[in-house]
Amino acid sequence: MNTCAHHWSMTDVRGGYLVVEGCYHCGARSSFFSTEPVPPMDEYREGEHFWEYLSGDQAVTFGLRCDECGRTVDLKAMTGLMLSTCDDPECEIGRMALELGRSASIYVALCGDSTHASGRCVSDEGVAALGDYFNQGRRQGRRRIVVVPCRMRSDADCCRGIVIADSGLTDL
Amino acid sequence: MKISEIVDKTGLQALNAGEDGEIPGVYVSDMASDIITGAPGGCLLLTLQTHKNLIAAANVVDAGMVVFAHGKRPADDVVELADRLGIALFCTADDTWSFAVKLFELGMR
Repeated sequence: MNTCAHHWSMTDVRGGYLVVEGCYHCGARSSFFSTEPVPPMDEYREGEHFWEYLSGDQAVTFGLRCDECGRTVDLKAMTGLMLSTCDDPECEIGRMALELGRSASIYVALCGDSTHASGRCVSDEGVAALGDYFNQGRRQGRRRIVVVPCRMRSDADCCRGIVIADSGLTDL
Repeated sequence: MKISEIVDKTGLQALNAGEDGEIPGVYVSDMASDIITGAPGGCLLLTLQTHKNLIAAANVVDAGMVVFAHGKRPADDVVELADRLGIALFCTADDTWSFAVKLFELGMR
């Protein structure tokens, strides 16, 4: 059993593009990381979904590595981080926000499948390590960072927030 | 150097109320993805970006203050978000380079 207290650093930082696709039949969202400057934009069918290109913003992927014990955490399933603005008591994340109040900011670790039909999401270990990473060395008196997996959202269209992506650069 | 000292010596304009505190360093970036992977905790974040993304990124890396260069001013809802998260916002008429030079001349790195 690993008893290391872990001090995380980012590793395997890669720049690229976060491509978001939507199914125009069911409204599902799918996203993936692409290193191509011009990501594929053609419509295609996958099972019951008809995916069409919605957006492609510059983004970054990374993993975490413990400086003390060398343990690495793979965050390849994470396609983005979202500062939650949800306060819906019907949503688990909204309830958490209401309970925490001003003591914490909730960030949702987003995976590429909004329906979670694939069963894949950001791992519990990844979510925990992200929370530890962003809280380590945080100044006293500052809001804590709480990271939660996107599978906790009641509904991707209702549980909203501010996705950290490089969209809006043209607004400069 | 403290925020209040930086403000006094560079003529920054405050966009919201914020607590004073020590600023250990400077990070210059207009990309949220770059900020979350590179900005050190407590830093002065110098940027042109006025989108909410920037505030979400500044909060997660615990930026000590955000300075918008070249006369850029965020919309009211962006300032409100920063208020809620306790992030001090400032603006300067200087372009990014000129303000970065001022900080360097103050001894900030």
